Amino acid sequence: MATKTKGRFVNGLVDMKAGKISREIFVNEEIYAEEQEQVFTRAWLFIGHESQVPKPGDYFVSGMGEESVILCRDREGALHVFLNSCRHRGMKVCRYDEGNTPVFTCPYHGWSYATDGKLVGVPFFKDAYHEKLDKSKWGLVEVAQMEVYKGSIWATWDPAAPPFTEYLGDFKMFFDLSLEAWNGTDEPLEVIGGVQKWLIPCNWKFPAENFSGDSYHNISHRSVDMVGIGPSGTGRRDTQERADSRRLQVSFPDRGHQTGIYVLPGGSPTAASYQQSPEVADYFREAEEKRRAIKGEWGRVTGSPGEIFPNTALHPRQPRSIAVWHPRGAHQTEVWRWYLVDAGAPYAVKDFLRQYYIRYSGPGGLTEQDDMENWNYAHSASRGTIARRHPYSYEQGMGSEQTNFELDGLKIPGTVMDLTEAKSSEQNLRNFYKRWAEFMDAPSWDELADWR
Amino acid sequence: MAEVVNVRLLKAGDKLQVSHGATVVVVSNPLDGVWIFARYLASPEDPSLEGTEDMIFAQDIIEVLEISGD
Repeated sequence: MATKTKGRFVNGLVDMKAGKISREIFVNEEIYAEEQEQVFTRAWLFIGHESQVPKPGDYFVSGMGEESVILCRDREGALHVFLNSCRHRGMKVCRYDEGNTPVFTCPYHGWSYATDGKLVGVPFFKDAYHEKLDKSKWGLVEVAQMEVYKGSIWATWDPAAPPFTEYLGDFKMFFDLSLEAWNGTDEPLEVIGGVQKWLIPCNWKFPAENFSGDSYHNISHRSVDMVGIGPSGTGRRDTQERADSRRLQVSFPDRGHQTGIYVLPGGSPTAASYQQSPEVADYFREAEEKRRAIKGEWGRVTGSPGEIFPNTALHPRQPRSIAVWHPRGAHQTEVWRWYLVDAGAPYAVKDFLRQYYIRYSGPGGLTEQDDMENWNYAHSASRGTIARRHPYSYEQGMGSEQTNFELDGLKIPGTVMDLTEAKSSEQNLRNFYKRWAEFMDAPSWDELADWR
Repeated sequence: MAEVVNVRLLKAGDKLQVSHGATVVVVSNPLDGVWIFARYLASPEDPSLEGTEDMIFAQDIIEVLEISGD
């Protein structure tokens, strides 16, 4: 696809040569319908976390685009992701958010499925079907591919999609900043406090763009910074190490993933955090010391918001969470946000983080409320006939990106924008939309996986 | 009309009269209000079912023959 220079979307409605994007891609319902097919049936999508389904029979109802899916662990302990729709007449076979069950039974006519997806119960199988229905052909629809990566669970409907780690490419090392324990090891994380779910009246790409690396909108959060919701009672975070760091944007043009990061100079220690709570401060100090020791030069890197294409947002450091922007029509998005903590952390640490997380994020979180207000009104003000004639500008920092970026001996993969002096760039946003346009134009993964 | 059996109240050990003149004992209840897991005690129409376990559909349950003690 990188060789394609012009399509309906590539350098058409998404004109990255000029740095302009048509408002149609956000508000046009036909484009939205096309997007469900072109993007959401082919990309890898975040489903949930292993800690949500630890035991056989455990399930969590998740979503893939507009589809409801069931993540469950079968009697043998294997994970599955199924379409939450009875094969007989389509009724949801699971209407709870999560739980444990031996079977998923359709309440409409009673077809029943085991946790491995097999059809095991058909009412009047002997009398009405005369035992002629081939149950083996009518199991729940299962995703084409599912992978567990460091506790996170991903799936795609497309059998031709590359394996998930190949889909991530070199972005993997940045995603690890969200999935490794605070001490940099693979000690398990867990989802704390359930999954927050709420609706926003905007197209799903507004939040996806925002988390791709829009730091230009920080002015929106000035009131939160003034209130001081951060863990130390000032600002909205407690990330003093950022003051000494280079501030970078990193993006991967052939994958569509992007993030912000901060990189400390060689030899610099990480500043202390959570100073108002001695137990929490000690926990993070010890964890950070271990992380710096085992990660070597890479330990100088700390995370900032990012986005795995298309609709999974990362917030790796403070607060640590993963969000999915589920499309619910061209004009509505359902946000699901998972909050992660070290499974082995003391209760006091988990509780401190829980309270900070919900103060910051989610429908009641002050920072997320700022964002939602922007996305809401930007979307509604872009729907009119006149408004739709005028594209958005994505020109900020065009041509300033670098490759082979190195800082005091630490090589950073991908395309890098140094924001330390520039303060802001829309390179990561352009990267997101470039990939989106490629998905919209490409007929198959043969064109999308052109790195092969 | 026979009283409708509330399958959600059935528990392991309960004995049931089901369709085709068969009797079963409840093995477990998934509490979905639709099915129970049971073992055939008697099946005059198909004796090969005796001793086997199967899922019994709620509408195939005719009556509760015996409630097990806890």
